[in-house]
Amino acid sequence: MSETEMTPCDHIRGQIAFYLDDELRGREQAAFEAHLQECQACRQAVADERRWLESVRQARPLYSPPPALRARVEQIVSETPSPHTAPPELRRRIQRFLWPAASTTPRLFRDRRLIALVACLALIAFGGMWYVMMDRVRVPRSPISEFALMAVDTHLRYLRGQLPLEIVSASPAQISGWFAGKVPFSLKLPNYQESSGQEKLYRLEGARLVGFKSDYAAYVAYQMRQRPITLVVTSNSVALPSGGEEIVSKGLKFHYDSIDGLKVITWSDRGLTYALVSDLEERGQQSCLVCHAGTKDREFIESLKPSR
Amino acid sequence: MSNPDFKQAALEHLDALYGFAMALTHDRTEAEDLVQETYLRAVRAFGQLMPDSNLKSWLFTILRNVWLNQLRHAHSGPQFIELDAEAEGDHPQWLDRVANDPHVELMRKVERAEVRAALEQLPRLYREVVVLRDIEGFSYRQIAGIVGCPAGTVMSRLGRAREKLRLLLGGWRTEAASR
Repeated sequence: MSETEMTPCDHIRGQIAFYLDDELRGREQAAFEAHLQECQACRQAVADERRWLESVRQARPLYSPPPALRARVEQIVSETPSPHTAPPELRRRIQRFLWPAASTTPRLFRDRRLIALVACLALIAFGGMWYVMMDRVRVPRSPISEFALMAVDTHLRYLRGQLPLEIVSASPAQISGWFAGKVPFSLKLPNYQESSGQEKLYRLEGARLVGFKSDYAAYVAYQMRQRPITLVVTSNSVALPSGGEEIVSKGLKFHYDSIDGLKVITWSDRGLTYALVSDLEERGQQSCLVCHAGTKDREFIESLKPSR
Repeated sequence: MSNPDFKQAALEHLDALYGFAMALTHDRTEAEDLVQETYLRAVRAFGQLMPDSNLKSWLFTILRNVWLNQLRHAHSGPQFIELDAEAEGDHPQWLDRVANDPHVELMRKVERAEVRAALEQLPRLYREVVVLRDIEGFSYRQIAGIVGCPAGTVMSRLGRAREKLRLLLGGWRTEAASR
């Protein structure tokens, strides 16, 4: 036997921790125990290791929570409303099945202030809208940008429940404030108020941070008639829009693409780069077109500019 | 599991979660915030918990993710101590303190405090696997799920962590254990 070759005892010693951690199974466990029957030295090594581990484990619990924390947690557990139990994607599919024309209801067009936001959020779906804008310029498609892919991935991960929101709120001001100091730019979400009796056409759900290129981007989740819309924002020093179909409109260059059935549009404006992702259908183009000509839309874009 | 059942079961892991939070943060206030945020998220995300999932493991995963997010906010990325950056010859200061402390004999009677102190000297990645395995009793596979690494990494990390812990606790524990 060479000096480097392992003896049966060496092999057993290497498995002691796994054995005591109950991680050996089947033949490995049987062989280990059979060796112990024959080898006093290894039995002693196992006994020593077991005593040492037990002495460490006897230290549990290492810490005890203060009573005040227990009271707070019990309050959280008892008072937090029950969540939806169906996966968001399933809910979205069912909703679409039950109300196939929901997003086309004429009420969508009644409130221009709301339409302005709807339009901005729905930009993704509106590759065609740019054809009818005044100073449109179209250039051929180029490869999809990393930022757009990240936005789509973020959208899908959120739908799969893999990205829990870090702040759940329908308040744009609260979410804007939450981002302060967490992302290296200033983000101010618009606050549109519905008129009396007006059905709320979209809902701000919450937000979280998402990693992108060793920095944080802002992720904001919306729902429009049970259909999720993702807005991802980062600094244009981190990402610039590129790829897809380029559409120049109103002095801004938009990049539109469809990825895995989702529409994504990215653009940069005043130091920030945006990506909007949704599965909104073509009909939304009309509402976007109507309000994109108004001033509210521009106000919304203005409100997203970084502080200087 | 119904929602009331879930809430009751989740509360049973409060002590363990707080212990893990303390092991990660070394700070009571941070640990309390971490546990509170963990329960907040858990209650909201209860619907995403698969019926055959291990609730305790799921709660620990949430807690660790929350903690990682907080670290990233603070440091633009987790500031782990490099496991291999510690020179083999590095002598833990804690051992000097124990050896020179006139109250060392008294301290040795308080085994929990000793283990806790030794654990606090471990690099964070080592500390968490020891706590998850030896204090909380998770399997290698469950630990791999919680810390997001392969089970093989858990095995090797745990082995190195225990070796360091053994050094930190010194000979007294062997003696105590054999009494």
